[in-house]
Amino acid sequence: MSSTPSRPAADRRTASRPARRRGRWRGYLYVLPALAVYLAFAVLPALHTAYLSLFEWDGVTLGRWVGLDNYREVFGDAVLRRSVLNALTLVVFFSFLPILLGLVTAGLLARYRRPGMAAYRFLFMLPQVVPLVAVGVTWRWLYGDDGLVNQALRTVGLDGVTRAWLGDFDAALIAVGLVGTWVLSGLCMMLFLSGVQKVDPSLYEAARLDGAGPVREFVSVTLPHLRGELAVAMTVTMVAALASFDIVYVTTNGGPGEQTTVPGLLVYRLAFSDGKVGLASALAVVLACLILVLVFVVNRLSRSEE
Amino acid sequence: MGTDRPPGRARRARPRRRAAAACAAAALLPLAACDALTPGSAAEAPGPRSVPSRTAVPDEDITLRLQFADAPLMVDALIAAFEEEHPRITIEPQYKTFSDYVKNLKLTMTSDSAPDIAQFAVGMTDLAEDGHVLDLAPYREAYGWDASIPPVSLDQLTAGRASESTGGRALFGVPAGLSMTGIYYNKELAARAGIEQPPRTLAEFEDQLAAAEEAGLTPLGVGALDSGGLHLWAALLNHTMSTDDYWDWVNGTEGATIETPQAMAASERVIEWGRLGYYNDSANGTGQVDSTAQFTRGDSVFLINGNWAAGQLATAMGDNVGFFPMPGGHPADPVVASGFSVSYAVSSRTEHPEAAGAFLDFLTTPEAGRIISDNGFLPTNAEAAEPPRGVLADVAEGHRLAVADDGITTFPDFAAPAMLDALRSGVQKLIAGRVEPADYLDALQDVWDEQHAE
Repeated sequence: MSSTPSRPAADRRTASRPARRRGRWRGYLYVLPALAVYLAFAVLPALHTAYLSLFEWDGVTLGRWVGLDNYREVFGDAVLRRSVLNALTLVVFFSFLPILLGLVTAGLLARYRRPGMAAYRFLFMLPQVVPLVAVGVTWRWLYGDDGLVNQALRTVGLDGVTRAWLGDFDAALIAVGLVGTWVLSGLCMMLFLSGVQKVDPSLYEAARLDGAGPVREFVSVTLPHLRGELAVAMTVTMVAALASFDIVYVTTNGGPGEQTTVPGLLVYRLAFSDGKVGLASALAVVLACLILVLVFVVNRLSRSEE
Repeated sequence: MGTDRPPGRARRARPRRRAAAACAAAALLPLAACDALTPGSAAEAPGPRSVPSRTAVPDEDITLRLQFADAPLMVDALIAAFEEEHPRITIEPQYKTFSDYVKNLKLTMTSDSAPDIAQFAVGMTDLAEDGHVLDLAPYREAYGWDASIPPVSLDQLTAGRASESTGGRALFGVPAGLSMTGIYYNKELAARAGIEQPPRTLAEFEDQLAAAEEAGLTPLGVGALDSGGLHLWAALLNHTMSTDDYWDWVNGTEGATIETPQAMAASERVIEWGRLGYYNDSANGTGQVDSTAQFTRGDSVFLINGNWAAGQLATAMGDNVGFFPMPGGHPADPVVASGFSVSYAVSSRTEHPEAAGAFLDFLTTPEAGRIISDNGFLPTNAEAAEPPRGVLADVAEGHRLAVADDGITTFPDFAAPAMLDALRSGVQKLIAGRVEPADYLDALQDVWDEQHAE
């Protein structure tokens, strides 16, 4: 952010020092508005949450300082631990499956240019544009007793498999996870498609001349070029899985039992229904740390392979 | 309660010192923000704890704000009728959806802009404890509410506390419409299963459930995704646990427990019915509203729900639907049912407690009773309203019997704010046979212990 580079070198030797210093500070001035907004609406609330996590507070009356007790409870409480485990299970459905599906569709769509690509992209992107609450409500109907899922199963003679998917102890988490797969696959595909378009077409040509089939071509040419996009997709979808709230809240509200209870839901419930703002804050802090660690690992892995 | 303040301050001293350290460490926070960040320190000191003893409304133009979450049509009609009688009082209704209302209740009632009158809900007793809601005991005597309102409906609004101004029981709300849960039945389907009349005992009811199952019908519709499951459990508990013990538990009386053989028996029955296939397959994935809609389509012979569904069922099914309270062990047993009321509390920040009192008293009049009854609720003053017809008559009769037997118990989630979630997920496990009754009750008692720890 320096304003000096365009000056002649001789001039710089005599007058550069104060000017450069002024320039440096001017640079920060440009950042200031964004920084102020970021501090006020992201950093301060985060610090406030961390601070509240050290209190036992019902949200109204005077809080009581309890130190790290809330964190002890987060790690000691079976339901809270269970919720973290559920969130990690959701990573499979929110992250791994969409990335796999995204790679496959991107590989299929990238190899040849066909008419109507824009329509495909629009269709696959659609779940991203629909509000998650609407997605949840729609899937609740689809998964219902007489919903489309069960109707389809009955049509093909699988009457024995039908059930109320969201009310079934064994199926609920998978059912919720698949909603996430549906939402995030399109996003992953879009990311990968845009990555594929950066690849020099001559590389594909060279591969084909060397006799590479579609699979070989994908593995040797396309995939290595998608490393950056993979890291982005991984980060975004993992955060979506671990911080999931809306889909779960709308479809199962954590049930049946605690089968689909996720940390995001518990934070909300503890703070607003149960009057345990301190414990909710502690859980939120732990969740944020977990997400940061995982995202850090993902980023390190994608970089070290380069 | 005024004497409680200084120790409260003293306790705050330590966190505040650490708060200062935290602020310094953060280095980003303006120093002035420190005080505001101490959780709860910004809470306003509440006003008086009790309504005055005088009831006369001052002769001036008064505007009251009423915040509520149930039955907007009923509230509008009640306000219109009240304003006709009191031309100088204006009531501004502020409607919120139930979940919004409950979530914001604490913030709303402790803010400067608290409404003068607010619908009673879980959490109101905590607010009463801290003096944010007025004790109405003086008006109870002055207006003679004990004569015009069933005692049980008032008992539900005392938070189990004594009044500081009258020495009698405290009162933190006045009921408009009353509510009650029970079993609805589809008469046509019941006849097909050979069921001729409502059961007189629980054993008879179980026979009917079995008969329905045998006839290839779904016996009992339960909307356990939200609160239908806990209504079922509570309905069974009503006949195993003594109402006094139950009240002690809900009110947080010291030493009360739900880990009793009686509660075990009720929980085991919920499991047993699930094992026998009495519930709709998707009970755990179906909300109460959806289970009611399925019942109107003839998906089950019986349905557990409350009087609030009666209007909808009467419209959809006409004479094909009936209602009975969950029966007990013997035909002569008292009628016991879970119920509560749409009640209203008065904020301690109101400037017009007399006018608020006048409105609350209006709720007990025959005119208000007619409006309440027209809107599908049970008026406190049953004789005042026109006798209802069809399933609404069944509900009213069941309620009359339960009140006569002193058998209206409150909903179990009133025991603690966190109890609703514990009950909802716990009963889902019972229905699916995924938990031992003892572990279920233990989880409930944990929530109770945490709430009533002191």
